[in-house]
Amino acid sequence: MMARVLVADDSETILLLLRTRLEMAGHEVQTATDGQGVLDALKGAGPKPDLLLLDAMMPRISGIDALRELRAAGVDVPALIVSAHEEANGASDEGLAISGYVSKPIDFEALFDRIAELTAPGPAA
Amino acid sequence: MSQSLANRLTIGFTIAFAVLTALAVIGVARFIQQRQDFEDAIARSYQREIQARTRISQGRHPAAARATVLAQQRQRRALRDDISNQTRDTALLVGAGLIAALTGAALLFSGLISSMRRPLENLVEASERLAAGDLETRVEVGGLSETASLGRAFNEMAGELQRRAGERDQLDRMKDEFVLTASHELRSPLTSVQGFAELLIMERDRLSPEQVETVEVILDNSRHLVRLLNDLLDLARSDAGRLEIAPQPTEVETLVEDAERAMRGQLEGRGQALSTAVDPDLPRVSADRDRVRQVMVNLLTNANEYCPDGAAIEVKATRIDADVEIAVTDNGPGIPQDQLEHIFERFTRGDAGLTQRVGGTGLGLAIAKSLVELHGGTVAAESTPGGGSTFSFRLPAAAAPGDAPHAPLEAEAR
Repeated sequence: MMARVLVADDSETILLLLRTRLEMAGHEVQTATDGQGVLDALKGAGPKPDLLLLDAMMPRISGIDALRELRAAGVDVPALIVSAHEEANGASDEGLAISGYVSKPIDFEALFDRIAELTAPGPAA
Repeated sequence: MSQSLANRLTIGFTIAFAVLTALAVIGVARFIQQRQDFEDAIARSYQREIQARTRISQGRHPAAARATVLAQQRQRRALRDDISNQTRDTALLVGAGLIAALTGAALLFSGLISSMRRPLENLVEASERLAAGDLETRVEVGGLSETASLGRAFNEMAGELQRRAGERDQLDRMKDEFVLTASHELRSPLTSVQGFAELLIMERDRLSPEQVETVEVILDNSRHLVRLLNDLLDLARSDAGRLEIAPQPTEVETLVEDAERAMRGQLEGRGQALSTAVDPDLPRVSADRDRVRQVMVNLLTNANEYCPDGAAIEVKATRIDADVEIAVTDNGPGIPQDQLEHIFERFTRGDAGLTQRVGGTGLGLAIAKSLVELHGGTVAAESTPGGGSTFSFRLPAAAAPGDAPHAPLEAEAR
């Protein structure tokens, strides 16, 4: 049930909010403030996350760009994209294997349900 | 510089007038001259005959005088033949001249008319294209100076229209961009406000009742802001023609149930009873399920907010011609006629006094209208002050397979 989630957002406040809520729900949280942080976390030696929760728009390397690089490198961790723009939702998946979009403001109950589905042992999403 | 029509007409008229006048003067003068000469000759002939006859009566050279009388009579016959020939020749000459001058004038005018016709026809065609929205249309400038300046004026006008349309498009794009950016920039802080308020309310047990109430105010208002942002986005998309729906043949029953489920909590919160009446045997409608739920939620939210606690609200679905009408009726305070007329406009509310205590955005009906029209349907509102209100919308029936002949009807309704 407990999952290791890598959360990336350029806003420290949003990161704090996500970390608090996810930890309260019993998940383990790693954070990054841009796409480079995400890449570093996955290339580093530490434990690998079970799920990525990436902000679509971040300075320098965006969540989408980071995911593109990870997929190209063969990393198949499920990813949810957080976006303020509803427009971005349903944007072309481009073979990035995006497991879903999360709109701001965040509906945490729906988010926790989705995380449970995606990290449940057995049939991978 | 091209010659003007007025110049050509003036020159043409002057030449024709001069030629005709000259011909008339010459003709008349010649006629008078010939006539004069003829009469003189006749008079002289008579004079000679009279002299001869005098000689005959006096008995002087009667034989020669008789010959003279006969000769004079022959000469007068010859003179009369001559004069009638000459008169005919003069008449022919003048007639031929008149015909030539008139033909020349006719040729000149038809030439002028045909040189006007092409540019004018081009202008008419270009105006029609321009009216049809082709702002890039231009005419060839040329020919007479009048048509040339018409052409230039037309081209300037088309250019100005195109420039303004371009500016307007750019402004529209900037406005859309602005709304999108504003929405994006507002959403992140709003996410924090709402998220942390939710965190606080999760610690409800450790807060005083006043603090709980305070946090609930924050939550209510942040939810209201989110609704407002979503509504503004929908309207901006609608204005930009980018509000999209994905209609599927859908059971009306499903649409009504969706709305009922979404609104149940809110209605129960105020002790309001919701009843539904869906006619059996309704055709399926062409509807985007999420968007129709949004329309119905907007209508029901209005009923919920504007009616007193314990009010009765009814959702009724009936068939009307090729459409299905879904109507939301309440027994609330109703809306005065003058306000009802503008009820589907944005930021319009029935009663300004109610605005303070209802939580709507003032955009719900405007969005409902846009969404229904996107489906090819129509919206309507009826109300009697004190006697409740009915807000209804019609959706086109979905074309059943093998029901193709009805498809154009649906397209027409758009």
